[in-house]
Amino acid sequence: MAFVAGVFGSMLGVGGGIIMVPMLSLAFGVPIKVAIATSIVCVIATSTMAQTTFVSRGMTNVRLGMLLEVATSVGAVAGGVTAVLIDGRVLQLGFAAVLVYVAWQMNRRGGDVTPVRTGVLEAAYYDPAAGHDVEYGVRRPRLGFVLSLGAGNISGLLGVGGGAFKVPIMNLLMGVPLKATIATSNLMIGVTAAAGAAIFYGRGYMDPYYAVPAALGILAGARLGPRLAVRLSARALGIIFQVVLTVFAVLMLLRGLGLGL
Amino acid sequence: MEPVERVIRGILLCGIALSVALMAAGLVLGVARGAGLPRGVVPLAELPRGLAALRPAAYLSLGLIVLIGTPFVRVAGSLVIFVKQRDGRYVLVTASVLLVMCLGVALGKA
Repeated sequence: MAFVAGVFGSMLGVGGGIIMVPMLSLAFGVPIKVAIATSIVCVIATSTMAQTTFVSRGMTNVRLGMLLEVATSVGAVAGGVTAVLIDGRVLQLGFAAVLVYVAWQMNRRGGDVTPVRTGVLEAAYYDPAAGHDVEYGVRRPRLGFVLSLGAGNISGLLGVGGGAFKVPIMNLLMGVPLKATIATSNLMIGVTAAAGAAIFYGRGYMDPYYAVPAALGILAGARLGPRLAVRLSARALGIIFQVVLTVFAVLMLLRGLGLGL
Repeated sequence: MEPVERVIRGILLCGIALSVALMAAGLVLGVARGAGLPRGVVPLAELPRGLAALRPAAYLSLGLIVLIGTPFVRVAGSLVIFVKQRDGRYVLVTASVLLVMCLGVALGKA
């Protein structure tokens, strides 16, 4: 199971905590906090292993990732403030609605964004599926930064990594091609997860009985995922991503309605 | 690859190798002692003694700590490279990320 999670998570730039946590706690009877701690370790393993491939292929936009990490990590730390202001259930339902909207937008667009050179955080990578280099610049960096604050905040609140938000923000809004988006989101989720994992470790929720086999499985799976992501066409990746987003949305909807987790 | 990308890749590979080696050592020790996987991690303060006593839980815990620490080291490593390149803006950006990560850990403990 951890192997499969590693393949999918690293292929799509998401951590998969939203699937991992209910699966561990419902199917394996793991206490919820231990399940969250295990899932966070898995996110770190996914990100770390996948980056060794993505970075060497030049797909990760390190500078863009660093810049948005400021926003997502500040947002995540500030999560506690928002928790007082908004009801958790309202947030979950809102989260589900946003995911559905994003999946629909990606579907409507059909293919990947058309790369434009903007002079901002420009980068290029070789796309083996398309058979040529893709050069792109980043659009709307300020708006992307502000929305990333929100994404970090929500992910901090709901205990999910937030890759599902980071990918659409970079791809749809900032005009970063899907493959570079996935690689960069994958880099970013490791940062948020590491801070969270350190806290869970200190509080004694980390259990090697679950975390070690899960981490090893993820590390193996996350060697394969990025290779698939590199080879698949951006269109196919987009479709897989939409399906996963829809699954996430359904899970969040169930949670928000108080069914399941 | 850019210098910063080379350094990031190097740090991540070392982190994975070290963490997997420690976890494997913990698993081997666990099997050798006929015990299954231990429950619960070893608190930081007791790690050195556990490692010296070849306790499987200590090795598994340290493996997890190395894995969790790798993204911290990755950000710190990028910071060093940006400082070397005198890339003022990204020194600031990367330092902020590191600061917020540590702040998050500190706040979470309270």
